[in-house]
Amino acid sequence: MEKKYKSAYYSHVVKIALILIIAGGLGVWARGLFLPDTMGQYGHYRGSDLEDQRNVELRNHTNESCYECHRPIRLIHKAGVHKTVSCEVCHGPYADHIKDDKYVAKMPVKRDMEIKALCLRCHNKIIRARPEESIKVVAMPQHLEEKKVDVGHNCNQCHMVHDPLLWVKAAYEMMGMEMKGDKK
Amino acid sequence: MSVAAHGETIAAVSNYIFPNDFHVHWSLMIVLYPYITGLVAGAFIVSSLYHVFHIKSLKPVARFSLLFALAFLICATWPLLNHLGHPERAMSMMLTPNPTSAMAGFGYIYSAYFIVLLLEIIFIFRPVSVALGQKATGGLKTLYSVLAIGSDNVSAKALKLDHKIIGFLAAIGIPMACFLHGYVGFIFGGIKANPLWATPLMPLIFLLSACVSGIAGIIVAYILLRKLSGKDIDVDCVQTLIKFLWGFFILDFTFEMLELFSHFYMANHHWHTLEALYSGPLYNTFWVAQVGIFSVIPFVFLMFMSLIRFKDGLLLFFAPVISVMILIQVLLMRWNVVVGGQLMSKSERGATTFHPMWLEKEGILPAIIIMVAPVVILWLIGKVLPFWMDDKGAEAA
Repeated sequence: MEKKYKSAYYSHVVKIALILIIAGGLGVWARGLFLPDTMGQYGHYRGSDLEDQRNVELRNHTNESCYECHRPIRLIHKAGVHKTVSCEVCHGPYADHIKDDKYVAKMPVKRDMEIKALCLRCHNKIIRARPEESIKVVAMPQHLEEKKVDVGHNCNQCHMVHDPLLWVKAAYEMMGMEMKGDKK
Repeated sequence: MSVAAHGETIAAVSNYIFPNDFHVHWSLMIVLYPYITGLVAGAFIVSSLYHVFHIKSLKPVARFSLLFALAFLICATWPLLNHLGHPERAMSMMLTPNPTSAMAGFGYIYSAYFIVLLLEIIFIFRPVSVALGQKATGGLKTLYSVLAIGSDNVSAKALKLDHKIIGFLAAIGIPMACFLHGYVGFIFGGIKANPLWATPLMPLIFLLSACVSGIAGIIVAYILLRKLSGKDIDVDCVQTLIKFLWGFFILDFTFEMLELFSHFYMANHHWHTLEALYSGPLYNTFWVAQVGIFSVIPFVFLMFMSLIRFKDGLLLFFAPVISVMILIQVLLMRWNVVVGGQLMSKSERGATTFHPMWLEKEGILPAIIIMVAPVVILWLIGKVLPFWMDDKGAEAA
């Protein structure tokens, strides 16, 4: 004889179907409740996010911000071949140094062989990303050997980092020689 | 992060790296995410081999592999939540579905698969839930009542209906499991800026390695749990699993090698970068570990174990050992794809390095916690729904 059950044989299937329908309905209801008002105002994003993004603190500035205090460097940097290089490329973001026009921390400065690694990030011959007219690229230590200096030399022993040709040009002038490919 | 803060990294990188390529952003967590979803998809395939394709010898693990899949599926989102931060924003992608973003599709793909898996478990275990619920008291009785969806009807008519629904769920579950994991592969395969990832083979390789890791995971878990609880091990079941493992691993390993070989043979302008990557930073983790140790050795062993009938003791010794090696192979594959792809700069002229730390937010310790969590969850699930109990056993208990 068939055992008697309290539930109908299909009751759980009906209940699951109901649960899924209710869950789906709750999802639609929750979407209406939590969807940000400005969602889709301009595109598939929250319109008010534009306002939020505008209020994000600026971390990077232009060289002009740096020059406001660093006057002597300004004169050297603006006159040299590195004039288009942003200060922050080597020194890090402005915001680490100045906040609300107040000095907050010392800028990290590269020392010793770190300088060589930094210079080679752009000047390494293996990169060859841009033509020779745009950027001087060298191979190490061949460059040092060619220039007949000690191979242990660091870049900044010959090149003033803010204007790499400043001392080189001065040395040529002192010797009364003309620099190869000098564009003045 | 500023260039100045990268002093040590700069010393470790080779050639030219763009400033935004120093740091490997998709780290251990993104290695684990496809690994865990792969285990889920693979375990589900094992269950489907029994429920849909009627491979009778897999009956002992058919139910267990569903619970195994559930335990890992619960944790599949954890690495992502930890990686992205702000877990409270996770539901936003459900609120604002974006049809043009592959990544945003995860919420719906994952949820749909979760529902199917959960429903299948509820239907398969309903007679067990009903039987155990009649003997349970207090909170556990309520829990069993919820799991049985408030029904006590286990008549032949009700079970026949259940059986039809289980077959349907398992059948739609296979394409969904394939879609879930193929989709994870697609996330990588669709990134055209990265020559290591951008190949239509990527979803296929991810899917096959998922099947491989899931079957290996089930072999290890089955043998280990049965040994620990002093129960008999069904050798025929292990033998069948090993055969399927070998079959899927043949395809998986072949496609992994084919993908690399097609890069090599076509030798397009990306190849010199990929070659430098495979012979440089990835040499040890790819050639030595993934291919040499953890693919070739298991491949040969699986071949012998499938073709020659090993003695039971020998089979039960080698099966878990080889399965663990396969699990490591798949983890290494995830590592070499996810981390390896980020080691080369978009400049295609240099490579960076990556060493995971122990205690950082996405470090080794959080990775271990996330991998142990599914095991703990599986143990908890086992307290409610016994792994090895079938409907007759439930009635007898």
